Amino acid sequence: MNSFIILYVLAIPVLTALICYFAYRHSVAAVVSAAGSLLLAAAASMSVAASFKSPLKLFNGMLFMDPLSGYMMSIIVLLGLASSLYSAGYLKHELHSGLTSMKNIRRYYALLHIFIFTMLLVTVSNNLALMWIAIEATTLVSALLIGLGVYKRELAIEAAWKYIILCSVGITFALLGVFITYYASFGLNTGNGILNWTELKEIASKLNPATMKLAFIFIIIGYGTKAGLAPLHNWLPDAHSQAPSPISALLSGVLLNTAFYGILRFVSIVEPSAGSKFTGDLLVFFGIASMIIASVFILVQKNYKRLLAYSSIEHMGIISIAAGIGGVAALYGALLHVLNHAVAKPLMFFASGRIQSRYGTSKIDSVCGVLKAAPLLGCIIFIGVFALAGSPPFNIFISKFSILMAAADNGQWTLVTMFLIFSAVVFYGMVKCFGRMLFGCSEEAPECTDSYPPDLWDRIGTGVMFCLAVIIIVTGLWLPEFINNAIKTCTAVIGAF
Amino acid sequence: MKDWINLFTLIDFISAGILLSTIAMNTLRRVESCVKAYRINSLLLSLLIFATAFSVGDMHLYIAGILTLLSKAIIIPMFLVRTIRQMKVTHEVQPYISNGFSLLISGILVSIVYASLTEGIFVTGFSKNVLQISVAVIMIGLFIMITRKKAITQVIGLLVMENGLFLAGFALTFGMPTIIELGILIDMLMVVLILGIFAIQIKKVFASSNLDKLTTLKG
Repeated sequence: MNSFIILYVLAIPVLTALICYFAYRHSVAAVVSAAGSLLLAAAASMSVAASFKSPLKLFNGMLFMDPLSGYMMSIIVLLGLASSLYSAGYLKHELHSGLTSMKNIRRYYALLHIFIFTMLLVTVSNNLALMWIAIEATTLVSALLIGLGVYKRELAIEAAWKYIILCSVGITFALLGVFITYYASFGLNTGNGILNWTELKEIASKLNPATMKLAFIFIIIGYGTKAGLAPLHNWLPDAHSQAPSPISALLSGVLLNTAFYGILRFVSIVEPSAGSKFTGDLLVFFGIASMIIASVFILVQKNYKRLLAYSSIEHMGIISIAAGIGGVAALYGALLHVLNHAVAKPLMFFASGRIQSRYGTSKIDSVCGVLKAAPLLGCIIFIGVFALAGSPPFNIFISKFSILMAAADNGQWTLVTMFLIFSAVVFYGMVKCFGRMLFGCSEEAPECTDSYPPDLWDRIGTGVMFCLAVIIIVTGLWLPEFINNAIKTCTAVIGAF
Repeated sequence: MKDWINLFTLIDFISAGILLSTIAMNTLRRVESCVKAYRINSLLLSLLIFATAFSVGDMHLYIAGILTLLSKAIIIPMFLVRTIRQMKVTHEVQPYISNGFSLLISGILVSIVYASLTEGIFVTGFSKNVLQISVAVIMIGLFIMITRKKAITQVIGLLVMENGLFLAGFALTFGMPTIIELGILIDMLMVVLILGIFAIQIKKVFASSNLDKLTTLKG
């Protein structure tokens, strides 16, 4: 298979962004954006299939794709497609309500595709510094997208400022970690340092343990800020609640995973020299901290988009714990959880975008009786909430359960207990809030302001949500064999640590 | 000039200058002076890279030096000055704590860094002080960021942190491959550009260039 397919995958979103930026009408931009995403999905599926056969390499190994990159890439492309299809209806509504202008919509579509491009670049970077550049670029582009949030101008700007400042500071530390890794590789193979992950992986056991430990601390602080691990998560609820809903979906479902992917790559080169106890303990610490903080804030939350954001922190915590436990079973759980969360969380953000445009607010108290007012939307939210809370028969239950099994097999009973307690708290918090919104009182319910009859784009948006809900249920009941095999191949790539 | 002893002294001398210009930023009252201090800081950084390039005779270090000089010492300060003019900010920095106190804390930060980084990393062929100084510069940059009210001073704090980071990069590895160096610098230019855009937006929407109004989002 020709490795140049990676370039096609990277070029398609950039071209789509360019065309979208010059579109003069909303319908044109929406069609171009949808077509671009579909084309991207086609190209990406070919390159993912090729990467599972044998790793693709390009430009002296600067870009490469192995099964793990392929796995992350398919998640990004899938959710990018969902988000760009859903965006059309969402933006049309905002445009009609006079909340946004055509100029901002053109910017929105262009930035959306550039955002997808930067995330794809993260997954195909073999060079660790290039990966850093791409992760920093995701921050910049998504900050601009958050700044386009329309419901409250001041809050959107405040959220974007906080986001860009905190993540840039965090990622500065990550760059120091990259420098230190580069330094550690000096004199080992060629005399010159190397930064390619594939080459570092080969000499990983020969790297100086003390240096690599120092590097890993900086990396986990830097990329951990980006992945929303507590106590470095302060930007996350603000950014996710103020961004336009389709962007919140991408931030939450995909961007956090992309940052965590950076940590995973580092774990697998730090672990052979520094020992799995060191990396594992750090990851478990950040994971437990995230679960604790998320569960506390979910209980007292008054804004449903912020609630979903805290739920993302909890799920990143779970993934981090799973990566920290180590071993094939736990890593399998972690990667499955990445996929499951990436499906369930965007679904909820899409649905909350619908609620927000219906009721004009994101306060939990001001929304009730959704199930009666909009039965289909209500059902979708019902499925999404129970999936996110981790109840069977939905997909997140499976991955949580396999992570717990792995922890129990390792005999980490304290961890299992804490995991269960905080999961229960989150379950209560989520079901309480959304239960109120779905079933709540009807006498004091505000009038729905949905005065526009649904058109084609709205129906497509609903279709996207419906598909995601179906994926949640199907993978919860029976995991397709190809996903199962793909994840097993990925755990082998990282090297079960 | 290829004498290593001389080089060590020279590099120590320049990096001490970088540390001093960073500490001096704590006492400056006007936003423009902070930009000037940042410009001096960046000039010294590129001077350091040129000095190393001259002694090692490495072409790619010269390129790195030129890139640093162009972006950090010329383009970014120019852009910052323009943004400040556009925002028409009152020129006081308005720190949350007094100058004397922040000087004291900077001093404490430097001594903590020196005390804690005595071993662990052994720098190849370079002065041992550079790594400590660079970490100290990063810390002071962070400290400037959290104790100033103006949006622009936060940006300057971030930039100072990045200068410290580059210093650390050179102390450890004689710099990254040129293409990577270029990518990192472009990323940083973009950060400053976008922060500048948002700073102007803050001024427009909040009618103030201070960040103490940005406290609505909590919990």
